[in-house]
Amino acid sequence: MNINTDLKKENTYDAIVVGSGISGGWAAKELTEKGLRVLMLERGMNIEHVKDYDSAMKDPWELKHANKLTEEQKRTHPVQKRDYPYQEANEKWWVNDLECPYTEDKRFDWYRGFHVGGKSLMWGRQSYRLSDHNFEDNAKDGHGNDWPIRYKDLAPWYDYAERFAGISGQAENWPLLPDGQFLPPMDLNCVEKSVKKRIEEHYKRTRIMTIGRVANLTVPHKGRGNCQYRNLCSRGCPFGAYFSTQSSTLPAAEATGRLTLRPYSIVNHIIYDKNTKKAKGVMVIDAETNQTMEFYAKIVFVNGSTLGSTFILLNSTSEAHPNGLGNGSGQLGHNLMDHHFRCGASGDAPGFEDKYTFGRRANGIYIPRYQNVGSDKRDYLRGFGYQGGASRKNWQSDIAELAFGNDFKEKMSTPGSWSMGLGGFGEMLPYYENKVYIDKTKKDKWGQPVLAIDCEYKENEQKMRKDMMNDAAEMLEAAGMKNIKTYDNGCYPGMAIHEMGTARMGNDPKTSVLNKWNQMHEVNNVFVTDGSCMPSIACQNPSLTFMALTARACDYAVKELKKKNI
Amino acid sequence: MNRREALKNTAVLLGTAISATTFGVLFQSFTLPENEKNSISFSADQEKILAEFADIIIPPTKDAGGAKAAGLGSFIPMMITDCYPAKMQMAFAEGLKDMEAKSLKDFNKDFLSLTVQEREQLVGNMRTETIEKIKADKAAKRSVPYFFVLARDLTILGYYASEIGCTQSREYIAIPGRYDGATDLKSGQKSWAS
Repeated sequence: MNINTDLKKENTYDAIVVGSGISGGWAAKELTEKGLRVLMLERGMNIEHVKDYDSAMKDPWELKHANKLTEEQKRTHPVQKRDYPYQEANEKWWVNDLECPYTEDKRFDWYRGFHVGGKSLMWGRQSYRLSDHNFEDNAKDGHGNDWPIRYKDLAPWYDYAERFAGISGQAENWPLLPDGQFLPPMDLNCVEKSVKKRIEEHYKRTRIMTIGRVANLTVPHKGRGNCQYRNLCSRGCPFGAYFSTQSSTLPAAEATGRLTLRPYSIVNHIIYDKNTKKAKGVMVIDAETNQTMEFYAKIVFVNGSTLGSTFILLNSTSEAHPNGLGNGSGQLGHNLMDHHFRCGASGDAPGFEDKYTFGRRANGIYIPRYQNVGSDKRDYLRGFGYQGGASRKNWQSDIAELAFGNDFKEKMSTPGSWSMGLGGFGEMLPYYENKVYIDKTKKDKWGQPVLAIDCEYKENEQKMRKDMMNDAAEMLEAAGMKNIKTYDNGCYPGMAIHEMGTARMGNDPKTSVLNKWNQMHEVNNVFVTDGSCMPSIACQNPSLTFMALTARACDYAVKELKKKNI
Repeated sequence: MNRREALKNTAVLLGTAISATTFGVLFQSFTLPENEKNSISFSADQEKILAEFADIIIPPTKDAGGAKAAGLGSFIPMMITDCYPAKMQMAFAEGLKDMEAKSLKDFNKDFLSLTVQEREQLVGNMRTETIEKIKADKAAKRSVPYFFVLARDLTILGYYASEIGCTQSREYIAIPGRYDGATDLKSGQKSWAS
């Protein structure tokens, strides 16, 4: 491509950030605040905070299809429709699968949102630290490669991320779930308080239950409003009450005057300069016009989501990097993991008939991992935590089959019984053979090859699922619940939307893609700080860890830049 | 609320009130094959019939308007044509015709001319017959859509998503502003709409 020097200058920044979701937003904020001129590239449309949250203030009766999908939406979103996150109220934030196909060697539910803010707009907001148990598990049991960092390396960055993002929660002094810089916790309801007390007594505090640690503000924070308890987060919050790129990192980056945000910019590949052995920029396809263009920078942060980033790296081939950028180890695209869930138990909570709730709390309870710790030994490795909660049904359950009429209406409008549920979130081990690769036999809407995904849960996960059901039932029983039922609704990788691991960190360039600073071993001005960097995934929701890793990597990158090491 | 919990609540919300068929269509999502896009349409009279049917399922009461006032006469056919695969659309259309035929046969009047008591009787008979059909089909391991079930499900779904359903039959607060997990249940307290 011929580029005149003016255009080249115009297209040159200090740093390029690929992606605008949770980690990309953090990278843009940190790098601009440290004085860099940053170009943030987003492949999808722009979404302006509040203004573009079309359905956020809609009452139930303002949704034409009662929040259900039409046949046409199901036709164009054959993957997104597989589970509940894709709904009428937030349909514009889920990718059209027909335009962006991928190959499923085995079933993998790939949920994608292509717009400014990415999945930070629709995320579950549960925010947990990893502990040293998690950082050491790989080294101890030999699965995956050793994390190049330990908790102490990340702890100050967790502090930093939490203070800015605003995480509400309760300190518990639980070794597997380190405490953080919390805003006041949300309340447990009366049933949850009783269940917590009985579980902690029964197990002599070898198991605990706490309120979910969640990126929803319980008090006003840094100019953002506190949670209004509407529980409509995934439509975008007009109060800015949960952490998203739009509510938090983007305004901070824009306030520096050094951010350029370019929507509709699909990064096709990173341009490698064999003379300097660095990335010199990225090649972009304009999603609206299909035109290609190049942008240049001293450093590139890749934050396109785990599989999005991995695709870009695999697609960035050159003579020096024939198998993808920085893939001398051959690990790029491998070790794909996701949490397995959708199994647990629930039961009725007797009593409390005289109590009800007010407000819709966008949060539940959390039981942190207690398995394979101390004297607790299981016939599988690692472990799981629980999310769940108690609620009072909004109808009476003694309704006759296919009933109708006045009595039926009365029962449907009268508060029913309380129930309590616990659903496990289990760790998946890293397996080299769980992988993604580029499939050149298919093309997306823009003529790019697509990703093929070959990933499955194995014996360790299957064994764990039994305990995820049985332990839940046992705890509910200890807590006095009745009519306890276990369930396993089946789970495929991708469903938890916690895919991670395909560009892992490690100390050894022969076995890992990134070093302990999320910097590519082989191309030292490229940093990858989204979920792809994770050598293991623990069982906690991961986004807070991406925030902390990103802030830490940005700090290092700018220092190195100033030292002229990059 | 985390995702798993949201899923569970959706299931709980609809657990026993809505049939597996409707649950399947609306939550597990069929896909309409391209060659099955022969969607049916509904006449103004049919919308009136569906409004009256829905009003028997959820009638007006002292405290709250019924399904007809909530607009179910147009909601049900709109949902059938927009959100259901062709085969189920056809089954629904057939069932609607059958109901009209049944009205003529049993009462010698079309459905719209029936008194409320006659409609209650007719809908009660349809319910009994449907329960029997479901039993027989279950035994024979057949899976077929039932008009009565589809129409009743959509009545419930639409009514409790309607303004009347949310604000009269249940209680709705758009912006609660706080959470109290142990408030006293007042006498006559209605369920929260959400």
